[in-house]
Amino acid sequence: MVRTFAYRLAAAVPLAVLVSFLAFGLVHLIPGSASETILGDGATLEAVAELDRQLGLDRPLHEQYWNWVTDAVRGDLGRSVITSRHVSDTLIERYPVTLSVAGGGLLVAVAIGVAGGTVAALRQGRLTDRLISLGTATGLAVPNFWVAVLLAFYVGVQLGWLPAVGYVGPTESLFEWVKHLIMPSIALGLGSAAVVARQMRGGLLDVLDRPYITAARAKGLRYRRVVVVHAMKNAFIPVVTVIGFQASVMLGGAVLVELIFGMPGIGVQVVGAVLSQDLPVVQGVVMVASLTVIVMNVLIDMSYAYFDPRVRLA
Amino acid sequence: MKSALRRLVTRPGGYIPLIWLMLLTFCAAFPAVVATHEPNAADFTAILEGPSAEHWFGTDDLGRDNYSRLVHSSRTAVVAGLQAVGTALILGVPIGLFVGYAGGWWDRIVMRIVDAVFSLPGLILAFAIVAILGPGITNAMIAVGILFALRFIRLTRAMVLSVREEPFIEAAQLSGAPTHTILGRYLLPNMYGPLIVQTTISLAAVLLIEAALSFLGLGVQQPDATWGSMLRAARSLQRDNPITPWPPGLAITFTVLAFNALGDALRDVLAEGRGGRKKAARRGVAVGLAEDAAAHDHEHPSEEAAGTGTLLSVRNLDVTVPTDTGRARAVRDVSFDVQAGEIVGLVGESGSGKTVTALAVAGLLPRGLAVDPRASITFDGRQLVGMTESQLAGVRGTGIGMIFQDPTASLNPALTVGFQLAEPLRIHGGMTRSAAAERAAELLDRVGVANPRQRLRDYPHQFSGGVAQRVMTAMALASEPSLIIADEPTTALDVTTQQQVLELLVELCEDLSMAMLFITHDLGVVAEVCDRAVVMYAGEAVETGDVYGLFAQPCHPYSQALLASVPLLDADDDRLVTIGGRVPAPNEEFGGCRFANRCELAAEICEEGPVSLKPLEDEGRLSRCVLVDSAPANGGKS
Repeated sequence: MVRTFAYRLAAAVPLAVLVSFLAFGLVHLIPGSASETILGDGATLEAVAELDRQLGLDRPLHEQYWNWVTDAVRGDLGRSVITSRHVSDTLIERYPVTLSVAGGGLLVAVAIGVAGGTVAALRQGRLTDRLISLGTATGLAVPNFWVAVLLAFYVGVQLGWLPAVGYVGPTESLFEWVKHLIMPSIALGLGSAAVVARQMRGGLLDVLDRPYITAARAKGLRYRRVVVVHAMKNAFIPVVTVIGFQASVMLGGAVLVELIFGMPGIGVQVVGAVLSQDLPVVQGVVMVASLTVIVMNVLIDMSYAYFDPRVRLA
Repeated sequence: MKSALRRLVTRPGGYIPLIWLMLLTFCAAFPAVVATHEPNAADFTAILEGPSAEHWFGTDDLGRDNYSRLVHSSRTAVVAGLQAVGTALILGVPIGLFVGYAGGWWDRIVMRIVDAVFSLPGLILAFAIVAILGPGITNAMIAVGILFALRFIRLTRAMVLSVREEPFIEAAQLSGAPTHTILGRYLLPNMYGPLIVQTTISLAAVLLIEAALSFLGLGVQQPDATWGSMLRAARSLQRDNPITPWPPGLAITFTVLAFNALGDALRDVLAEGRGGRKKAARRGVAVGLAEDAAAHDHEHPSEEAAGTGTLLSVRNLDVTVPTDTGRARAVRDVSFDVQAGEIVGLVGESGSGKTVTALAVAGLLPRGLAVDPRASITFDGRQLVGMTESQLAGVRGTGIGMIFQDPTASLNPALTVGFQLAEPLRIHGGMTRSAAAERAAELLDRVGVANPRQRLRDYPHQFSGGVAQRVMTAMALASEPSLIIADEPTTALDVTTQQQVLELLVELCEDLSMAMLFITHDLGVVAEVCDRAVVMYAGEAVETGDVYGLFAQPCHPYSQALLASVPLLDADDDRLVTIGGRVPAPNEEFGGCRFANRCELAAEICEEGPVSLKPLEDEGRLSRCVLVDSAPANGGKS
């Protein structure tokens, strides 16, 4: 298990290298240099050149990349051009919040999506199926930040059932942590739940027509058992692919949703950094978010082996 | 294309979104006509008002009219969508065409990069690109367009590749025509459909991203409004004026919904243009059933389903299937019995209805097929017609075991063979896990699978067809049924394994005193295995009787023709006799005998009316032929 994980992770290294090229390339695509951004419009050419030398920006590009990447591997992602804080410190402090929201969203997406899709498939063509298909169409169209705004106001402020703003870490209070995550997770997860539900419905309908389902029924098993034991595991294979893709969608959406619920994740930082062209911060966020997705995809790949034994030998 | 357009605008899924999108485009083109106020005109006497005749959606914190700002925002939405999807098309389609056409290293490298970038969080990459280009709606939309180009690269490349693999392209290449002209001539007209669908769906996705970026303040700058920035402002205003988040939110939702629905409708319409129309088939169901009932005659000189020995008794079985024109009868008025311990063959060509009959007995008909409720199927004294799925579950496995045609497709690929074999033992037999495993190994051993204990841990894909069919047989035996239904159990196997499986089945029936209903198209197999046989043709049982009599003196002209077409090693004549024509489809109706159009003996009398099964002089033999008394091979004394 651990060995497979390590092996697959190693296989993902080229992708990580590509991401590092992208993130590094960011800085050099921008007109002007970081020094100009730091020193502002009134800076003299000498001052800019001096800072360039200090920051190593006068070196050849491959040398700069090598320095940046070796620092990054050691956990040093440079300092914010605006606040001079270490980017890695900011990330260590804030990224867990964003991850919590993204994880919650994924949980909502999978739970509602799998349940909804399964019910729709088993009630194919009936009223329940139509209602669920209406629900998924709406879920795909409703912007998650609008749902977040409405939830925060109506459920959080007016009804006061759940906290409308803020975040409490799981180490402080597990209960409060969950409580603060419920609304952001729902707002974030509904859209992906619709995607998962559609795939689940289609996958299950496809599987239910297979000969091995007829054969399972021929053994005299109850239909519920045929669906749960014989159909679900096979129907899940394409759903897992979709879930993997949604994991990356969740991470992007979490940045947005956590802002609305006033959570101290990377959202505020990254939006501020984009507006002020604080590239080390943007670089760091792109790197960390991409690596998260890469690891996530490795885990998803490994889960195929559980759902589809034919993968195991390959 | 024209008819596709007509089909699109005549369905609600097509015209409703189209109307919304046309309204939107009109608002975007002529916002001043639709709006009631200047969108940016502040009015400090009317701050944060609720909906009124003057301000339909109320006003914001500067007293600006929400409705007019919403209308003017539609231009941003439309322009932004066109910018992003335009960028995506301009970049994506040529690159996709190129890599698909060039193939080789180009294809591998570009697709690697596309797959890699595709797996990264899109919104965060969009942030990065906006950080480089600086805030502003055009920059943001070009950024989104670059990301969406990946979708078009994938789509276009896939289309080029699928066309390249068409046999006629290869043929044209062999004849010396240059590849790019063939591809161009064939590919371009076929690309429009999928590209239009992808464009529509991309517009929906782009709109959501544009709204998100504007919501974050990375899109259009103040004072101009967009739906996203109106929502951003609404966050702080909704406490004082709760209506503020609703109009922009609903506008985004409806527009995205419209694009998605249009995309779905387009895909359906294009698919219909290419293939069959499935939905039309369902409409005629009710009408067809009523007609069937009227046309159905139940006169039947049946053998009485009496005697202690009768295990299965099928009477007047009708199975209907949905077709384009209504419901057709795939199985017509079929009756037969299976005695305890007896092996009965169900013989016929493809399309004769033999498999459908077998599945109907076990209540395992595929979706859409239905047993006429007036039919009777009694098994072991219980009426199976009209039973619920869970009642039937009580008969299957323990009473009736099934063996299917394709053993590898009939075993669940995701579960071990041991689990699948032990499952009925644990559920019907109430065995513990270990006892069931022990018994499963015994069963595998009984059907002749080597190393049964190790093989229990294997998955179906690790078994060959012959061994898989032995496993299926063991599974059917597991709950010790009194009847086995074997649906062409050897058809999918090698000739050498066929014989082994046949011998195994016969041996098991004898040892366990099980009855078997054996479905096959192979008369040779019937002669070898069965005690009695039912010959089926075009949904009807045309002749039944014991195998010896049936082979010695077939009465029905179809049975005669079928027997004559079996190649015999010791035949005097080398000529292979075939039956001309083909089996009529279930929806083909004839005034008289269904075999008449292929029958060498057909006379006028055959066309006059429906023919019923008549008993012959031989005991227990029935034949469905009006000429049976004058037929040359008429069953006299044998």
